[in-house]
Amino acid sequence: MSFGAPYLTLPEFTYHKPKSLKEALQLLNEFRDEAKVMAGGVGLIAFMKERLLAPNHVIDIKDIPELKIIEYRKGEGLKIGATVTMSEIEKHDIVREKYVALHQAVKAGSDPIIKNRATLVGNICEAIPWVDGPVPLIAYNAELEIMSVDNVRRMPVSEFIKGPVEISLEPNEIVTSVYLPDLPPEAKSLFMKFNTGSEFALATLAAYVNDSKKPRDARLVYGAVSTKPVRAYEAEKIILTNKNISEAVILAAEKASKEIDVISDVLATEDYRRHLVKLLTINVLSRIFEVG
Amino acid sequence: MGRWITLTVNGSKRRVEVKDNEILLDVLRDKLKVKSVKAACWRGECGLCSILLNGKLVKSCLVLAVEVDGSEILTVEGLARDGELAPIQRSFIEHGALQCGFCTPAFVLASHKLLEENPSASEDEIKESLSGIVCRCGTYYEIIEAIKDASKHYQVRKKV
Repeated sequence: MSFGAPYLTLPEFTYHKPKSLKEALQLLNEFRDEAKVMAGGVGLIAFMKERLLAPNHVIDIKDIPELKIIEYRKGEGLKIGATVTMSEIEKHDIVREKYVALHQAVKAGSDPIIKNRATLVGNICEAIPWVDGPVPLIAYNAELEIMSVDNVRRMPVSEFIKGPVEISLEPNEIVTSVYLPDLPPEAKSLFMKFNTGSEFALATLAAYVNDSKKPRDARLVYGAVSTKPVRAYEAEKIILTNKNISEAVILAAEKASKEIDVISDVLATEDYRRHLVKLLTINVLSRIFEVG
Repeated sequence: MGRWITLTVNGSKRRVEVKDNEILLDVLRDKLKVKSVKAACWRGECGLCSILLNGKLVKSCLVLAVEVDGSEILTVEGLARDGELAPIQRSFIEHGALQCGFCTPAFVLASHKLLEENPSASEDEIKESLSGIVCRCGTYYEIIEAIKDASKHYQVRKKV
């Protein structure tokens, strides 16, 4: 993650390492805009080296026990705490077997050394358009738990990310966990990323279907194509209504490549990205529905 | 103004005064004189500053020194036992798995960690686990051969 030559040192700040969530929330409530919360630090430290951020206080939440939890409960789903690392998520059996799109996105997200420190919640809070983490989470309808000294709220990941580096978070709030709903046993999900020579994607797709034989619920979420992850609602409808699934895959891919909001930038033009959207959709849906 | 932290670096206890905004990489190199930890990109891309922090491989340019108070750090200086090089170090020499040598400490440490955890790692697993470290001389082929060759020593060790 880089926007140019970094400084080799960090701006000055005071470091805090609270032992409890209550203590962390009180510190954040006191310092507000002056403070930044640090989980794995791979994003925050890099941003500080670039001088994109220069907080007076850094609040390190790594010592808070309840944020280290990753657990699955049948009927409720999967809860991933704010300081659970990408490596821990990638190695988790339930993630690998059940939340396949998340597993694939985490696997493709970065190198294994970075993943020993990077966190999924940090990845979401960065809200950089080309990161992989939020895309499958939106496909699963995942929600965030957000806390401040006097409030707890839940918000879907899709609403939390408002634009590039823009999130719906008050200066005194911490994202404590991400909740993924439990999936039906027949559910299928896949993630695919198109990139050339670096980990930065030109286009990604996370697809979710409740049942590949009788789809009643489908979500197609595209990352790295726009200022934030976008859903292809019309293409989803085609999958649910068209009886001939081979035909539906092609029609959905064509629809998705036309309907979603796509940008041009230094990495790829709008036309090229729309072409990638079509290819990703055909590729992923053919695998999910096991058609030619 | 700083604070004192205690680290166990390659088995020996070290106390050092650090400022809150100091990077672990700089403290290791400049204050503790652990020079195998190389500084190259400073932003988590090249992997040459990788160390084992409490048994986990991390890039020390993206770690604050204050946050690792009380931790154990292993670098390539700590791999030899009683003056005897670790099998992975001997294998790197035998295979000539280096050219300029700047990335070698990181590759040796990362491969040592990989083989300790998974002595029968496949070529794909080796490539995947080392994908965060860059060799600009392009000695990847020799590095992978050296790791495959060294793996038999780690398999024996695991059985014992």
